[in-house]
Amino acid sequence: MKKLLALLMVLLLTFSLVACGGGEQAPTESDPKEQATAENAEAIPQIGVTIYKFDDNFMSFVRRAIEKNADGKAELTLNDSQNDQAKQNEQVEMMLSKEVKSLAINLVDPQAAATIISKAKEEEVPVIFFNKEPSAEDMASYDKCWYVGTDSSESGVIQGKLIADSWKAHPEWDKNSDGKIQYVLLKGEPGHPDAEARTKYSIETIVSEGIEVEELELQTGMWDSVKGKELMDAWLAKHGDGIEFVIANNDAMALGAMNALKAEGYFEGDKFMPVVGVDAIPDALTQIEAGTLVGSVLNDAANQGKATVDLALNVAQGKELLDGTTWKLDDKKAVRVPYLPITLDNIQIAKDCYSE
Amino acid sequence: MKNFKHFTKQDVLRWIMNNAIFVVLIALLMMIISVSPDFISIRNFRNILSQASTRVIMALGVGGIIVAKGTDLSLGRLVGLAAVVSASLLQSSEYAYKMYPNLPQLNIFIVILFVMIVTGFFGCINGFVVAKLKVDPFIATLGMMVIVYGVNSIYFDRPPYGAQPIGGLDKAFTNFAQGSFIVLGFKIPYLVIYAVIITIMIWVLWNKTKFGKNIFAIGGNIEAATVSGVDVVKYLLIVYTLGGMLYGLGGSLEAARIGSATNNTGNMYELDAISACIVGGLSFSGGIGTVGGIVIGVLIFQVIAYGLSFIGVNPYLQYIIKGLIIIIAVAIDSRKYIKKK
Repeated sequence: MKKLLALLMVLLLTFSLVACGGGEQAPTESDPKEQATAENAEAIPQIGVTIYKFDDNFMSFVRRAIEKNADGKAELTLNDSQNDQAKQNEQVEMMLSKEVKSLAINLVDPQAAATIISKAKEEEVPVIFFNKEPSAEDMASYDKCWYVGTDSSESGVIQGKLIADSWKAHPEWDKNSDGKIQYVLLKGEPGHPDAEARTKYSIETIVSEGIEVEELELQTGMWDSVKGKELMDAWLAKHGDGIEFVIANNDAMALGAMNALKAEGYFEGDKFMPVVGVDAIPDALTQIEAGTLVGSVLNDAANQGKATVDLALNVAQGKELLDGTTWKLDDKKAVRVPYLPITLDNIQIAKDCYSE
Repeated sequence: MKNFKHFTKQDVLRWIMNNAIFVVLIALLMMIISVSPDFISIRNFRNILSQASTRVIMALGVGGIIVAKGTDLSLGRLVGLAAVVSASLLQSSEYAYKMYPNLPQLNIFIVILFVMIVTGFFGCINGFVVAKLKVDPFIATLGMMVIVYGVNSIYFDRPPYGAQPIGGLDKAFTNFAQGSFIVLGFKIPYLVIYAVIITIMIWVLWNKTKFGKNIFAIGGNIEAATVSGVDVVKYLLIVYTLGGMLYGLGGSLEAARIGSATNNTGNMYELDAISACIVGGLSFSGGIGTVGGIVIGVLIFQVIAYGLSFIGVNPYLQYIIKGLIIIIAVAIDSRKYIKKK
């Protein structure tokens, strides 16, 4: 009997979860206001969105920007692809069967774009890829697909510039006074275009600013803050104060590295180690304000989300792609949202990005 | 209907208990349909079937192992290995970033067979460690899961292009999994056909052969099976090897279906496959289960995943629902175990 009771409770819980979940995500079903007229329904097109991984820190901000910008203008079907391309393909099939008017796809694996494009092409549904860029070849294979993202190399260049400028302003950071930056680098997921470009261009830019560099360590932290901390723990044990700069491909890893540094007594008194990241996520901004993180590069989540919705909405309504927006297409059918360097001096720009 | 009076309240309760998982499912389905009536369509039906296909093949592999009172956590990583190896050998000749630039166009069947031999080999090691070295299946295959990921990553991440997802697959290969044919106006995906063929083969194996009888005997009571002359080691080796080979087939199809592969393909698939088996009525304590049950278990999860996304349930909430269903299934499973004792 006890077991039966438990079972009934589980049942009840499940139903209530589904009931409230369904209601929350599909307001048109219950909201009489929106059921009003057929033309109203026409005016609010369905857009299918997939996010490669819902709990990815940066993508969660893009997702919120998408939701905010689509509010009242489109009915979104949001999908969490759980970092699994097979799952994402299935979600695309599901949304096409739902007859969405356009797709906004954040690929799990950029190489899989061809499969998604062939599915969408069959139904003539336009696709806006965002944040992970398909190859030029795939983009050229379908006239109704576009890309919203950034220019990967730009974030590296800006990070390199930020490092060079701060290094020149703080001669005391050259602990062994050899005029070279002894750096360690936390790389993102190998093969990810952003990881490759940021690694390459940040170092190239420092060198082009006339500063010599010496690489002590370079390892992949998979964009992950725990991995960033673990690697930094090991490197600190190995090199200690021989490290003069910590360069991270993203803020999550930079923050992980800072935790390792804090555990070793850095950032107290005058024990300091410069760290830079990319993304300017809110956590990183607090650290910049506290004077512990040197700087970051703003990957403009708000505007990437906005651009994605602007484009997806226009094509869903059969309008011109850039109708009523200020975005510009480059020769690769892409809208590039610019990166910005963020330090204590201009931190407000980044903060505004996250405020409502 | 005359007998209706003879049903006591307790009989009804018992029926609900014994079929709780189906009660939950039917209720969930009703919920999905009531929120979105256009869920009922041939197209959705076809999508669900074709999406379940590769999972059925994998679940049948681990299903045999579960019947023999084992488990296999290396499933997902072996699927990943199969996906990466088959993708690397079947890239289109025009693709600029081929893993093997000078590789000629290979025959799809030969590649898949080769991959199945490779994953079957790893499965065989699993069987050896479990049967001969008497390591608990959970531990043995947990170790194998990590080893296979390492092996796969070494194969995957190397010059000239490093850890790039393996894309640009041969059109014939992607069509092998993504394609379909038309019968009487209905579009039938190839994948569904493969799954049906494998299901029939495994059904025959389980129900009409000595092998089938023996794995049920081993799972039911290993001592009794040994005493009555069953070569336990041999049959465990076979069942784990067969499992490995089916993951190999499933993984190759998965690569073709996705259109690319990385060393992370297939990650955690073992949990989906094992949960599907359990929900489909296989007992974790061995010796109980049917092929049909496994297929139903897989379909149940596919319907839930597809349906809940279709009506737009919050993705995080979907995790909770899926977890609850697994717990209910295991609660029923433990009841069966008590009954058996």
